[in-house]
Amino acid sequence: MNIRLARPEDLAGMQAGNLVNLPENYLMKFWMYHIMTWPQLSFVAENDKGNIVGYVLAKIDEESEEQGGVIHGHVNSISVLRSYRRLGLAKRLMMLSQDAMYSVYKAKYVSLHVRKSNLAAIGLYRDTLGFEVAEMEKKYYGDGEDAYVMKLYLKNQS
Amino acid sequence: MSKKAAAPSNRTLASKESTLFKELLSLYENKQLKKGLKTADQILKKYPEHGETLCMKGLVLVHMGRRDEGIELVRKGIRMDLTSHIVWHVFGLIQKGEKKYEEALKSYMQALRFDKENMNLLRDVAQLQTQLRLYDGLVETRHMLLRLRPTVRQHWIALAVAYHLSGNLAEAKKVVVEYEKTLKNVPHYDVEHSEMLLYHVRLLEELEQYSEALTLLDVSAKDRAIVDKTAIMEFRARLLSKLKSEEAEHAWKVLVEHNPECYDYYKGYMSNQNLDLDKNPAEALAVLREFSAQFPKANVPRRLSLSLASGEEFKALAQPYLLSALKKGIPSLFVDVKSLYTDPAKMKCLEDIAESIRQDTSPESSVPSSSSTEPTTYLWSLYFLAQHYSYLSEHTKALDLLDTAMSHTPTLPELYTCRARTLKRAGDFYGASRAMEDARRLDGQDRFLNTKSAKYRMRAGLIDEASALLGLFTKKDAPSPGADLEEMQSLFYLQEEGDAHRRAGKLNLALRKYTAVQRVFDDYEDDQYDFHGYSLRKSTINIYLNVLNWEDHLRSHPSYIKAAIAASRIYVDVFDDPKLASGNVDGNSTDAEKKAKKKAKKAHQKEKEDAAKKAATAAPNNSSNEDKGLDVPFKDEDPDGMKLLSSPEPLELAWKLLQPLTTLAQNNIEVCIAIYDVSIRRKKYLQAAQALARARALDSEYPDLHVRIVHARHFVSSLPEAIPPPVGPVFNETLDKILPEGVALETYNSQYLQTHSTSANAILAAAQASRVLGAPLQEVENLLFTALGDGVQLDIKTALDISNFLKKVKSSRVDELHQALDTKFTISTAFKAPEELAKLRELTVSTNMNGSTEKLDNGTAVPIENEAELGKGVST
Repeated sequence: MNIRLARPEDLAGMQAGNLVNLPENYLMKFWMYHIMTWPQLSFVAENDKGNIVGYVLAKIDEESEEQGGVIHGHVNSISVLRSYRRLGLAKRLMMLSQDAMYSVYKAKYVSLHVRKSNLAAIGLYRDTLGFEVAEMEKKYYGDGEDAYVMKLYLKNQS
Repeated sequence: MSKKAAAPSNRTLASKESTLFKELLSLYENKQLKKGLKTADQILKKYPEHGETLCMKGLVLVHMGRRDEGIELVRKGIRMDLTSHIVWHVFGLIQKGEKKYEEALKSYMQALRFDKENMNLLRDVAQLQTQLRLYDGLVETRHMLLRLRPTVRQHWIALAVAYHLSGNLAEAKKVVVEYEKTLKNVPHYDVEHSEMLLYHVRLLEELEQYSEALTLLDVSAKDRAIVDKTAIMEFRARLLSKLKSEEAEHAWKVLVEHNPECYDYYKGYMSNQNLDLDKNPAEALAVLREFSAQFPKANVPRRLSLSLASGEEFKALAQPYLLSALKKGIPSLFVDVKSLYTDPAKMKCLEDIAESIRQDTSPESSVPSSSSTEPTTYLWSLYFLAQHYSYLSEHTKALDLLDTAMSHTPTLPELYTCRARTLKRAGDFYGASRAMEDARRLDGQDRFLNTKSAKYRMRAGLIDEASALLGLFTKKDAPSPGADLEEMQSLFYLQEEGDAHRRAGKLNLALRKYTAVQRVFDDYEDDQYDFHGYSLRKSTINIYLNVLNWEDHLRSHPSYIKAAIAASRIYVDVFDDPKLASGNVDGNSTDAEKKAKKKAKKAHQKEKEDAAKKAATAAPNNSSNEDKGLDVPFKDEDPDGMKLLSSPEPLELAWKLLQPLTTLAQNNIEVCIAIYDVSIRRKKYLQAAQALARARALDSEYPDLHVRIVHARHFVSSLPEAIPPPVGPVFNETLDKILPEGVALETYNSQYLQTHSTSANAILAAAQASRVLGAPLQEVENLLFTALGDGVQLDIKTALDISNFLKKVKSSRVDELHQALDTKFTISTAFKAPEELAKLRELTVSTNMNGSTEKLDNGTAVPIENEAELGKGVST
């Protein structure tokens, strides 16, 4: 699989992959907004036919003044088609995005939300990528499920 | 407003009202709608015909959701004061909300006539001009804005971009250079400035001023003025290569190191070394070996090597490649190597390797088991081989392998998805749906499997049942699962359900879905509007230019093309046989659909009542301040597609869909044929002839094209009088080049048939052509039945096409054909008798609805290690 920065012509494939994989979906304008505001942070994996089989969509956020005003990255959505798992694509996509968050925006940490029941994803973030659970948000998801907020403090990876 | 010369008397307000009007404008700015409305009414009490106030009141009403009433006031206001920039500005805003960009631009230009230096107007005009791709006008507008406010940095960037878009890169560069001169004390590490500089570098690269580009890049990188590390590395490698610098090789290596899974970096490295992958694969292989040694975990160099190597070397590379993937249980292995199958020797080699791994790891193997991973290696080798044989249409072999695999491990969904795909290919759509549902049941939390199962139900014609499944993951408060998926722009869903309706003969519902696909692309196009301002403020120019380019080619997306062709075929059929539109108004709804319709109607009624109630109770409080915006909300006034199907102008609707493809998908032969079908009926003869010529250049023997060539010739000869000049002669000339006049069409047709006597598709085409020429039904039937002959290549899809054509010409031999096909395709159920099909359908519906089947419950599962690294994925 080819892993590279997301381009505009990938957006429809990213949106389609998201709709097939996850229950939280977004309109095209949301996807456009992210890559047009933070064009360095979102990545895709494509197969040899050029179809998108995995993606990470990410952004930069600033904490409120009270919280300390720290600049940090946030992963909006990441998924890999079931038929392309076990290749380590998610890990690679995350690492590339994290690297760009740190080097372009000097992000102090990266955060994300994950369903409490999604043990496989939690395993990836914690065991493979080094994230830790920072807090829990009750009923974060549309269907009432709780979310963990997970964080990873960034340092130079290369 | 301030710079007006003497205002006409009917615009002048007394000082109290004049103050109120200013208040009204600022209330509108802050979207204080209710107060704004009150203020407008106060003015209108004294000046009931004050145009500007009428327009502002209308605008406020539209924001409040009272669109019709508001627009009426706006129109009245314009009539009262035709020379006010405010009334035209308001009208422009309304039209923009209706996505009528051209009309909006006209109104804005009108407004500008009366207030030439109004910044708000000019900014909006620039956005409209960009949306409409009127780049010369855009340059003028951007110039004006810069002249009026040269200190605003985005005005410089915006002018450069306007020049860039209009194709004048040299002027764009001048503006950028001038702009950079105005900058003082640029902070280090400013992302926006960094993006601006990266745009400057791109501009220089596009101007082929490579060494200037490289200098700017290096200096800016060193100063930390450009902060995007990856962009720096990519620009650097590319520029150094173009400059034929010795440093280039290293620059590409640095990129590979940065991301060893990116093909582009390897390709860049190779092409920099002048390594042609086709001409000197040996050298390229040596390079890849080095990379592999340096990045042992990287997959790209290993996989790329498989494409380049051949013979013994291929075998030596492929063996460990397959073995390690089978040990890890990588589900995509077959899809990954499938593209190597274009080389029959490689295909055979991969088959042999996989077979020998299967034997070595089999429980019955004589080789003593040495590793604990072998049971799963065995399992995944069975899975790989099943996909392999299924791909080669050896369906029975594939199914046998899957049976073995399932009795080994009954809990691996991939085995069932593979069975489903195999059965689908073999023509058993019901069996395929049952198998896919088995897969889904093994992991009910997985939306991927849910979507697949729904798709297979639609392929089996179980549309309501598919919808029920999809509903497990769509919003519970949506009117229906389909409505939610449509709102979320699921092209996959719209396409599949459209096709399912089409196969079931519900052409209205099919058109409804295909039109929704078209609407998704319209929305994608509208989505760029706000970014014409936003991206310039953010200085993210490079990605913005790329987005504009993507938008310009939007409809070359396969989903759009498929939907456009499918819909245009229906429109053409309806044009040829208008009975299709009137025949099946309600008779085509299933019970479930009727129920759903009733329910929807009820819900709609309730919604209305609720809204009325809400409005009644909410009236006194503040909720009328809610801003509904200016965009027209989508109202579905044709939920069952009957308006589309019974349109008096089906060909115009078809043309609207196909028109963008005349430039975006010229190389798609199906598009050319669709354009021919529509154009010849619209009497656009040049377009029709050009489409034929283009199709012929793409594939002169294409069966569907053959039918059209015969059709065109026959059509011309049966016209009562010749097509008048200038079109006629050009049309004839083009046609003559394709098939000279005077060739007997029957002879031409039988020659085509002789040349392609082993192709079922060609037989079908010849039969269709002879039907065009008015051959008796019996002759057409006899010809079609030859497709069943021994030496003829016939697959399920073509068999279905033949069956559909027989039905279309009202042949009495459909059952006979189906019986023969049923005998020929042993696994297929597609050609069973209606009673038997009804039973199969019943069986599929009931097993799908009931709990899991027995064999799934009592298996001894081998645990699959590292189950899905990303289970259900994650999202916020």
